[in-house]
Amino acid sequence: MQAAAPAAVADRANGRSIASKISFQGLVLGFAVALLLFLVGYPLLWLFLGSLGAPQSLGLEHLQRAFARPQNYAALVNTLQLALGTGVMSVLIGVPLAWATSRTNMPLRYVIHALVALSYIMPPYLTALAYIFLLGPEAGHFNRLLQGLFGFESGPLNIFSMPGVIFVIGIHVFAFTYFLTYSALKSVDASLEESAQVLGAKRWQTTLRINLPLVAPAITGGALLSAIDSLALFGPQAIIGTPAQIVFLPTRIYATIGSYPPRWAEASALSLLLVFLTVAGLALQRGYLERRSYVTVSGKGVRTQLLNLGPARWALLAFCLTIVFFSAIAPVGILTLNAFSKSWTDPLSLSNLTLEHFHTALFLDQVAVRGIINSFKLATSAAAIAVLIGAAVAYLDLRTNVRGRRVLDYLAILPLGLPGTVMAVGILLAFIRLPIPIYGTIWILLAAYVARFIPLATRSANATFRQIDPSLEEAGRITGASWFHVIRRILVPLSRPGLLVAFLLVFIPAFGELSATILLYTGGTETIAIAIYRLNDLGQLEVVSALAVFTIVVVLTLAALVSWLSGSSWSSSETPAVRG
Amino acid sequence: MSIERRSVLKGLAAAGTAPFIAGHAWSQAAGPSDAGQIDVEKAKAEGKVVLYTSLDTQIVDAINAAFTKKYGIEVQYFRGGSSDVTGKVLAEADAGRSQADMVDASDVAGLMLMKERGLLKPFKSPAMDPIAKELRDPDGTWIADRLTQAVIHYNTKEFGSAPPSTWEDLTKASGRLVYFSSSSGDGAPRLYTLASNFGWDLLKKLAATKPLRVQTPQVIAQVLERGERGAGFLQNDNIAWRSKRQGKPTDYLFPAEGVPTEVGACGLLKSSARPHAAALYYEWWMGPEGQAILVKGGKYSSRTDVEPPEGSVPLSKIKLIAPDHVEYKKNKSQILDRLAATFGGEWGN
Repeated sequence: MQAAAPAAVADRANGRSIASKISFQGLVLGFAVALLLFLVGYPLLWLFLGSLGAPQSLGLEHLQRAFARPQNYAALVNTLQLALGTGVMSVLIGVPLAWATSRTNMPLRYVIHALVALSYIMPPYLTALAYIFLLGPEAGHFNRLLQGLFGFESGPLNIFSMPGVIFVIGIHVFAFTYFLTYSALKSVDASLEESAQVLGAKRWQTTLRINLPLVAPAITGGALLSAIDSLALFGPQAIIGTPAQIVFLPTRIYATIGSYPPRWAEASALSLLLVFLTVAGLALQRGYLERRSYVTVSGKGVRTQLLNLGPARWALLAFCLTIVFFSAIAPVGILTLNAFSKSWTDPLSLSNLTLEHFHTALFLDQVAVRGIINSFKLATSAAAIAVLIGAAVAYLDLRTNVRGRRVLDYLAILPLGLPGTVMAVGILLAFIRLPIPIYGTIWILLAAYVARFIPLATRSANATFRQIDPSLEEAGRITGASWFHVIRRILVPLSRPGLLVAFLLVFIPAFGELSATILLYTGGTETIAIAIYRLNDLGQLEVVSALAVFTIVVVLTLAALVSWLSGSSWSSSETPAVRG
Repeated sequence: MSIERRSVLKGLAAAGTAPFIAGHAWSQAAGPSDAGQIDVEKAKAEGKVVLYTSLDTQIVDAINAAFTKKYGIEVQYFRGGSSDVTGKVLAEADAGRSQADMVDASDVAGLMLMKERGLLKPFKSPAMDPIAKELRDPDGTWIADRLTQAVIHYNTKEFGSAPPSTWEDLTKASGRLVYFSSSSGDGAPRLYTLASNFGWDLLKKLAATKPLRVQTPQVIAQVLERGERGAGFLQNDNIAWRSKRQGKPTDYLFPAEGVPTEVGACGLLKSSARPHAAALYYEWWMGPEGQAILVKGGKYSSRTDVEPPEGSVPLSKIKLIAPDHVEYKKNKSQILDRLAATFGGEWGN
């Protein structure tokens, strides 16, 4: 390895003992690298081998058989429909919202922006649960409201349908399109608009012919990201899709392993298909953005002017409020209401209020209590390890010229494009057998969480180290401090807030993780998401709501902390990724 | 550097695997093979029991609470659908990391598969005497603990005194039916029993009513109680019994032409690291006291010397259709495919 080279040169210059320095730096970095290869590379290798039938056999017949089965074909078609639907939906609601909050004088712009962030931070399986209460075919509140208003014989809307799944996932993933479009619109130079106006263009013409083409790549990119993310969301696909009899690739993969005897080769083959879809989507998004990038839309702060809409701004506000009502206010509201109601189907009244469900969820129910404890433990450890590895990868990338550091960086970002279900299949295949048989223990969940969320820590650490001038560390070395000393006394203190953000960015999604956990947990290693999922199966919806509210409170508090630590929630479109 | 790297990897491997191996009892503890050999002191020293079960949690909680009160031994359990339970036991065994001391599932085919894989421990229990021969393994690796009848459960406000009383009647209630099966096919065995006795055409006609599919019997009851659907087919009798006793507007009936019965069975795992506590718990579960709690929760005991649940029909008055576990186990894959083709959705195959 080359890591020793620059250190050795520095040491020679300082005339200090070489051996101790190499080994210590090498040991710390080497450990992090080995961990990364072992947690991300090794399971991916197994995923590939698994689709060929390993360890029993090796051949292409498993792949062929998997793709020839009508069940799998149907799952693929449904998944593509879902992606297309959510992609289109994200444009239809994300773009007007982004325009309203970035370019107009509409009131409550900040509130709308924050509520879009909330729709994204909320674990999507909780949104799905909320919509069973809101749009369940008969008992759902909105349906009963519509029945009362218009005299329908039965509830007119049914969440348990393909449009239902697209809707529930769409109101989560549209945030991608929203945030990308928002940043792009914010950075369109006002001088272009002014020129158009000087030349006689009307306001709406400017918007359509100057702004829209300039931000088109951002919109397309956002739609693609929304579509890609929707592929991976096991939670809502299972919670809404299963009762609707609609199968998607992640739920199909879950069923091939969840039923006995597990069909590993088929699960791996379907996972590879899902990876292919994701990678193709991401490549398309990259390619599109690169080809169509306009210099005017840059990261630099530019002067923007707000469009004065006159009275129309109230109509726009009504539209925006409707969207965030459905995406954030109603789901959080209904879960909160149910958590405090004796029975969710009874109308709200003082006599129907109770704290009993919180008592059950937080103290009595065996699985729920264990789930809360496990989730805290796992999220804390996963975040700590991910930050350690992420910092090491970022350090190698920015402060050394080790050969292969780009590959490492890529490996650390790679899981971002991998659905949780896929990671879980790889991790299961890798860690169910020797040499590291950790299936059936809590360690396999820790491995999965670190592997899944390491990109968030790596990117965050990278951004943090970038802001610290290497000359500070060099000064430390010149004055005779050891490598470890420089790290401990210069780099770590300076990057502490950034690393804390990295920690939280991993903690938040790990705390509510469902899609990988569902394949990896066993008796005793249930997490809060598993408790929610299982109790929902048993119809204990009030206790489920209490657990959901607890999860939302934890996640939101930490997300607020992140936004406070990073200065402002406005500057960044990188809201923590909470995936089901 | 290469030396360091190698040592890092070695250290990593050692640090990573040591606790997992050291902390686990790999040796197959023999323990008691007969109820007479159970040592209560040893059981108490073992401290806890891990149960994997598909039984309703309210009943499990009641059985466990009484057991813990009597012996001071905690019971930790994993509860899932019957296929989840079997799937987890098999997967853990594949990984060499079995967690469960005792398994209980409403899926004899699953227990037969566990026996075939050598996971279950032959155990001689006094509970074998009051249980019919065909309801237990001749080698003593599994034993039926309960019988669940798959009934018609209905909303009384919707049907009043004229509920659908035969399987055929149900096919007329278009858009009003509900049934259950998880995505891994928990509901499949009873559907198969129904189909093999009354023909697959019956299932096709039921499917044509566009029934709502839910995850568990518990949710069938809720859907009926709320009036979202009018009738549930192949519902667990104990869940219907409980709903009625709680004063909900539902009732249930056993169709005269025959009711599929589903056998729940349990067994001890060979790999158990707590053999005395496990056997003690097994005896409690299968014994008169444990079975009495089960019956109090609305289940029919498999023991002939235990009364049926309060206010319910004795099994001798019901025409029961026994499932063919051997056939189901052999053809499971084709059966699930056929159910998927009939009802659509995910059946785990």
